[in-house]
Amino acid sequence: MKSPFAYKPRRGSLQNASPGAAVSYLGAIVVVAFLYLNPLVLLAAGAAATLAGVLAGARAAVRAALRMGLSLALLVALVNALVTSRGETVIARLGDWPLFGRVDVTVEAIVAGVSYGLLAAATIVAFAVYSSCVDPDRVLRVLRPFAGRSALTATLVSRLVPVAAADAGRLRDAAALRGPAAAPVGKAPLARRLLAGSLDRAVDVAATLELRGYSLEAPRARSRRSHSRYDRRFYSVAAILLLTAIAGKLVGADDFQAYPTISIGFGPTTLAVAAIVSLSGLAPLRHGPKRRIQPADGTKRRTRRDRSSRRRRRLDQSARRSGAARV
Amino acid sequence: MSELAIRRGAAPALAVRGLDYSYPRATQPALIDVSLEIAPGEFVLLAGRSASGKSTLLKAACGLVPHFHGGEIDGEVRVAELDALEAGPGELAAAVGYLAQDPETQVVSTTVAAEIELPLEMRGDAPADRARAVEEVALALAVPHLLDRAVDTLSGGELQRVALAAALVTRPRLILLDEPTSQLDPVAGDELIWLLRRLNEEWGVAVLLAEHRLERCLAAADRVVAMVDGGVAFDGRPAGFLEWAHERHAALTTPAARLFSLVGLTPLPVGVRDARQTLRGTGIGHPLHIASRRVPDPRSSDPVLRAQNLWVELDRGEELRDVLRGIDLEVRPGERIALMGRNGAGKSTLLRTAAGLHEAVAGKLDVGSVALLTQNPSDYLVRERVGDELPGEEGMSALRMVGLEHAVDADPRDLSGGERQRLALAIALAGRMEGELLPAVVALDEPTRGMDRARKDELVALIRSLAGDVAFVDKEATKATRAAAVVVATHDVEFASAFAERVVLLGEGVVIADGPMEEILSGGWYFATEVARVLDLPGIVTPEQGAAVLKGELE
Repeated sequence: MKSPFAYKPRRGSLQNASPGAAVSYLGAIVVVAFLYLNPLVLLAAGAAATLAGVLAGARAAVRAALRMGLSLALLVALVNALVTSRGETVIARLGDWPLFGRVDVTVEAIVAGVSYGLLAAATIVAFAVYSSCVDPDRVLRVLRPFAGRSALTATLVSRLVPVAAADAGRLRDAAALRGPAAAPVGKAPLARRLLAGSLDRAVDVAATLELRGYSLEAPRARSRRSHSRYDRRFYSVAAILLLTAIAGKLVGADDFQAYPTISIGFGPTTLAVAAIVSLSGLAPLRHGPKRRIQPADGTKRRTRRDRSSRRRRRLDQSARRSGAARV
Repeated sequence: MSELAIRRGAAPALAVRGLDYSYPRATQPALIDVSLEIAPGEFVLLAGRSASGKSTLLKAACGLVPHFHGGEIDGEVRVAELDALEAGPGELAAAVGYLAQDPETQVVSTTVAAEIELPLEMRGDAPADRARAVEEVALALAVPHLLDRAVDTLSGGELQRVALAAALVTRPRLILLDEPTSQLDPVAGDELIWLLRRLNEEWGVAVLLAEHRLERCLAAADRVVAMVDGGVAFDGRPAGFLEWAHERHAALTTPAARLFSLVGLTPLPVGVRDARQTLRGTGIGHPLHIASRRVPDPRSSDPVLRAQNLWVELDRGEELRDVLRGIDLEVRPGERIALMGRNGAGKSTLLRTAAGLHEAVAGKLDVGSVALLTQNPSDYLVRERVGDELPGEEGMSALRMVGLEHAVDADPRDLSGGERQRLALAIALAGRMEGELLPAVVALDEPTRGMDRARKDELVALIRSLAGDVAFVDKEATKATRAAAVVVATHDVEFASAFAERVVLLGEGVVIADGPMEEILSGGWYFATEVARVLDLPGIVTPEQGAAVLKGELE
């Protein structure tokens, strides 16, 4: 089964954008999430990443990332509530626990944990959208002139990880199909076999790379300029996001304090930053060409004015046939 | 020699002189004193049994041997005037393209367009030149609609074409292909061979093609080179090759040639058209009498597998697809069934569902125990000693059944392809080979990939013994007292004609034909044996059947 995070070519604006533009845009959302602790802004960053993914057609990746991210957010909130006893609003006293010591669950620790969890969730969704929408070949092509060996390693890994996942599935199936008198297959032999198989695969892929001329020392051609008409939009949105985030920080839009008591800013600057960040999720919106609906026979669609003039002509004709003169 | 002279055909596309080669740590040389020359624009078929040195010769011609595999080499290999022993595979890539058996390991990029463009990018071509070359090779191979697709969404046939496009995009003067049709259905396989012939004729690319299924490509070849034990045993025209194979290596002849030799007709035909022309010349018309073979009575026993309106849905990443769409099928004990159809028709899914690896989303499936051997037998081999895979007396019994009791201390990786296949089957059957424990159904998924005819004959014997065919049961080797139904998913029509008594043809997840083997394999064009295509007589699919009919006509 193919991973929902695997790159899938689509005709979306994010997929058509150059790697630099797509990375700048999604990276700006992640930067906002890392700059702010205010849950409202973090929610806005998560919403922007989600919206961007949905508009780019990566619904499966977004769904999977949301499941993963929200589970992680809950876990972070829970762990923070157990390990942090700071905060004045105690909602449960759980006594002394081994390793943890005295455990007092406070509302402040829960809210702080939720804030960290939202940061993690927004980041996961943004990376899922990146993974699903940005062609790794184009990214590697950009990297190749700067780091050839790293790009080769990344190429092998990006090719072999899904192949190894498929191999693991096949090995599990074969293990389940063994007869009752065959030696059972434990996890260790299976892992060993998978590793050996992956090495064999890597050798085959390396041979193919040799045949494609990867080891040539000839100067590599400059990559084809891969700008798209959406690049400017993504670069602009990324710049606006970063400027907004920095300006917001300077004017106190990140007004959030968990301890000793919760203080969450919902002032106009925070709301403005959250609104701008949320709206940035619309950047991948793509307008289709305007189409004029025409009848199936290809004739031009009649307007009300056309119809009334036809009616007038019919009346004129019937009047002429009846011999009546039109006044 | 100048580039222009090479392009105009003055230099051979490949020249091999006195080549000896041994892989590292090998006890036997893989190539012995091989000499061979291929002219520009020639289409050469490389024939030979498994392990005869075909793949090694191809690897030497593209530089992988010795530059990638190491080992000891002596002699001379020149590709379009480049010394292949000096230049590495990268330098040779401009002059020679290479396509291996498994297309999965020959793609390194995420999308088709990037995959085809990669060799040009490595060579340093300008972006505009790359764009044009990719477009042209995509058009030549009829894959422009795939350019934007991710490689992991392609079928086997599509992937093979993309790998071929990547090998051809640099406009090499020689293309080397190592059993490129072994994983393709008959339709895709025939398309690939004729595509190669067209590229050979229109682009002037010399082709060196290694194949086991010679009947598929002999007619397209200008010349045949046969290898035996690492050396060149024959080098000449296809008709001469058939004469040579008939006298020296019967396993290398084609079904049509066997048909003619059984009847005593000459010359032996290199293809269907040749055979028909010769038959017309002898005045043989179309005989009317057709002898049909025994077909099991459907009411003779209770079915061991019964599928009723079976629907199976598989998750393909972002979409669910109905792979089986309302299958109705009954299989009875002792039946030998070939499950055929194009790539993606649902053959493997049907077998895997019967074995419990997939669940049906609708319909009903009643089946007893199923022993399934999946497409890659190496998946069953996880230990470093055969005896460790199959311990105890029951394990030894399983090894005896497949004739591998002598290999108990061997490393499974040292076994030949056919032996690995038999060992995997023994693992799947271990502990359930007697009486009531014998599986109701033994299912084999594409078991003949990369096998030569001798290995296929061994597999036919094994299938017949599993199905309880008395003539094939070795009483010393097995204690089987009950016959299993044997269902084999295969693209190999000649193999199907050798073992099957019934053929089920799947298309897009539905059963489109189900009947006696002779009827199904003689009633079409792609899913028909070579003899059936030559004679075009209902019910005549094997050389022996055809010979019986032709002898009657000649008398």
